Amino acid sequence: MFERLIAGLERRDELSDIEKAIIEGFRFRVQSFDDGQELVAEGSRPSESCLVLTGFTARAQFLSDGARQISAVHVPGDFVDLHCFLLKTMDHSIVAIRQCTAAYIPHSSLREAIAASPHLGRLFWLATLIDAAIQRAWISSIGRRTPAQHIGHLLCELHERLDLLGLVKDGSFEFPPTQTDISDMVGLSLVHVNRTIQELRAKGLVAWSSRVVTIPDLARLKRFADFDPSYLNLVKEPR
Amino acid sequence: MPRFYFDVFDGETTTVDRIGLDLDNDLEQVRDLAIDALPDIAREKLPNGDRAEFTVTVRDEAGFDIFRAILSFRAEWIGRTKG
Repeated sequence: MFERLIAGLERRDELSDIEKAIIEGFRFRVQSFDDGQELVAEGSRPSESCLVLTGFTARAQFLSDGARQISAVHVPGDFVDLHCFLLKTMDHSIVAIRQCTAAYIPHSSLREAIAASPHLGRLFWLATLIDAAIQRAWISSIGRRTPAQHIGHLLCELHERLDLLGLVKDGSFEFPPTQTDISDMVGLSLVHVNRTIQELRAKGLVAWSSRVVTIPDLARLKRFADFDPSYLNLVKEPR
Repeated sequence: MPRFYFDVFDGETTTVDRIGLDLDNDLEQVRDLAIDALPDIAREKLPNGDRAEFTVTVRDEAGFDIFRAILSFRAEWIGRTKG
């Protein structure tokens, strides 16, 4: 059930057999969601934390005029609201991008895990810090990258995050958002997103058909998008 | 759901929309989407020269142009600040 969570943690540090057993022993319930449904609602006070098992989810804030900004995308194995273990009240929603499934783990189970292994506690803390690092990278893209670099950067990031889960095959991975979802992620108009995706295709940087993204030359896209993966902390070291 | 195509002229090249957007047959939304794109295009392309015209042309499924939004840009020195 939690092999992707464990894979993500083991990419950054060693886990003992006891720590893996603690994670595998989490209490949980599983729920499935359709496109646009909320996994966690803004304003709620969750008593459990939500882990993506399959599919993609987005962190979203809604403005009073109905506009939506997506501030993060979560992939399988990501806790989407670990920060609410401590923050208590959600300041944004988590919504499904197409279909997804998630496991809800009671905070009491996390509390017991952290008490049994402070090291696991640090690794969960690390996960929230990496979320914050990703958001800093997104802010730099929104503020300073060109639209083509911005979308290129997003795709490089997803490639790196999905690759460690074994979800990239020959440079291709499933990424099913609509153009409206992308527009809400990058803060650009729908038509400009459409045009920018075609620009990336015309440059041969990205092939994007229906729900599958293919990056024919990752090194070239990384150079184009000014992508440096350091912020993803894909280094295995004692933490 | 009808599909509309948004061709963009960014002052230098035209990007012919081969993907299109599936929209409710809501022409007000078509108009808003075309207009909404113009500031993004200008932000990406300016400053580049003293004159530019950015255009979004909308085609319907039958291939007819149905709407056009144009943003004109002009920059010039005035008075005696520059010979």
